[in-house]
Amino acid sequence: MKTGWKLVLTALGSLSVLVLTASFGSVPIPPGDILHILGHKLLDMPLEGLSPISADILWKVRLPRAVMAYLVGSALSVSGAVMQSVLRNPLASSYTLGVSAGASLGAAIVILTGLTLSFAGMLTLPFVASVFGLSTVFVAMGLAARFDRSMHNETIVLVGMVLSLFVNAILTLVTALSQDHLRQLVFWQMGSFSGKEWQHVAVVTPILLTGVLLLSLLTHEMDILTFGEEQALSAGVELRKVKPLLIGLCALLTGTSVAFVGTIGFVDLIVPHVARRIFGASHRLVLPASALLGGPMMAVADLVSRTVLAPRELPVGAVTALIGAPFFAYVYFKERSG
Amino acid sequence: MALLRVFHVSAHYGSHQVLHDVSFELPMGEALCVLGPNGCGKTTLLRAIAALIPFQGEITLNGVPIRSMTRLRIASHIAMMCQAPKVYFAYSVYDTVMLGRYRHLRQSLLGRPSAKDRECVERCLEATGISALRNKRIDQLSGGQLQRVFLAQTLAQDPDVILLDEPMNHLDMKHQVELVDYLKAWAKSQGRAIIGVFHDINLALRLSDSVLFLKDGRVAARGRFHAIATPAFLKEIYGLDVVAYMLESFGKWAAFRKTNPLEGGTTRGASIPEPVPSLSLSD
Repeated sequence: MKTGWKLVLTALGSLSVLVLTASFGSVPIPPGDILHILGHKLLDMPLEGLSPISADILWKVRLPRAVMAYLVGSALSVSGAVMQSVLRNPLASSYTLGVSAGASLGAAIVILTGLTLSFAGMLTLPFVASVFGLSTVFVAMGLAARFDRSMHNETIVLVGMVLSLFVNAILTLVTALSQDHLRQLVFWQMGSFSGKEWQHVAVVTPILLTGVLLLSLLTHEMDILTFGEEQALSAGVELRKVKPLLIGLCALLTGTSVAFVGTIGFVDLIVPHVARRIFGASHRLVLPASALLGGPMMAVADLVSRTVLAPRELPVGAVTALIGAPFFAYVYFKERSG
Repeated sequence: MALLRVFHVSAHYGSHQVLHDVSFELPMGEALCVLGPNGCGKTTLLRAIAALIPFQGEITLNGVPIRSMTRLRIASHIAMMCQAPKVYFAYSVYDTVMLGRYRHLRQSLLGRPSAKDRECVERCLEATGISALRNKRIDQLSGGQLQRVFLAQTLAQDPDVILLDEPMNHLDMKHQVELVDYLKAWAKSQGRAIIGVFHDINLALRLSDSVLFLKDGRVAARGRFHAIATPAFLKEIYGLDVVAYMLESFGKWAAFRKTNPLEGGTTRGASIPEPVPSLSLSD
């Protein structure tokens, strides 16, 4: 099948899964009804006998949550694909440079102190978390540049790991010393889409879209980087500018996602490998494919987390890891064996 | 004027100085081979010329210091084929060679390859004998095939000077001879230049117009091989009686030839593809 058609089919399948995930729950809403409700909300079409309660459940609760899961899944997957190419490491992830540790610490500070910033209001927690997450990555990059002017991958990964461990240690201490907020802190760190509304979607959409679009302008650079830094320099890539830019954009995608929904692993690690199996290694295809596959995968993980033990919710991070670990082992080792 | 001028260049890794005051010039159309034992600074010299590492001294291309050039500008003049990198992701052979056109792709709308890019890649695939492998995944290739893919990628960059670091590693003899002859013809016919690092003196002699011997990071000699390489000099450089070793090998081949006379075949005139014509885009 031609690559263009494959991409179109993936996009259609991806959006279909998004709609389907919104139809499951305590009140089932068939996909046909979902389209009617969307027509009613967006184009002011009549509801034609559908219950206004169903319409409200879909529009105010399930859809913003599913869309948020889709956006975060797409962003994390794109970010994972880029980090794997920049660091020449198929096991690298969006979190390699400590963005989740930093964001979690920021979130913990807001949860413990009850801090509310006047300009951020209800978005104080995601705002502080994203500032902490991005700051951690920039500190990691700064330290890496100080230790090694050429910023070799080994230095970047090592500094990122050390900083992550350090920030995580602080987070563990803070968590251990604040029994009153323990449950809230732990649940946040494991990720959840619970309570996500359209206002959250409205904030993350432009940030994530901008990040993904800017990254899609650098696909040749990512391709060459997978062959090594000397190869990239020799081909004419301005590594000193391109590498921090790529890592910075990944930090923006991951930091924004983590700040709103907590740390959710594995999707960013697995999805790029699936995308490469279907579309080949060229990032011109891997990036859009990762976005189109990561979105529905996260939406499904969220569906599982809110329905399996309903009305209790499982942490999405645990669901993605439970499904993701064996799936990743299968995909990765099958890929290696050709 | 020399195409490339290396003037009093020194380089070091940390506190370890690898190159000491290396100077030479390379005119257009010439192939120079850098020879010397392991650790004498051959690869470091190539990396300095490609501006991949910091160096002291001056390196100029057509009279312009490479320090004053952007990476893209350097890439339009110099391409380095590094020792084959580890492959992590399964690109197709065609896509891998096309990446050599990076500086050209950057100038096109949305980075799409132009007809010129595609034509150049086709010629490079053909020149390196890998046209039939174009759709194959590079993680499924043998070491020799992969080496030819990266050589094709370097050629696709369409530079004035190609730097080759052990380019014939993993290649069988047929492909070694064909590629060396191709590269020599490429440099001669288009006024380009080659600097190659070789361990195999026979291949180096086949490719080069002149050689540069390095010892402990210093230029031990530079010129025509036959003018500078005495048996005593080679023994001093390599710590081995190279001439005696070669003659011993040739003696065995001479004996072999006596019992197995050649049937008129020579390596000259082997099917050598035409050099890639100049496809330089205006930068």
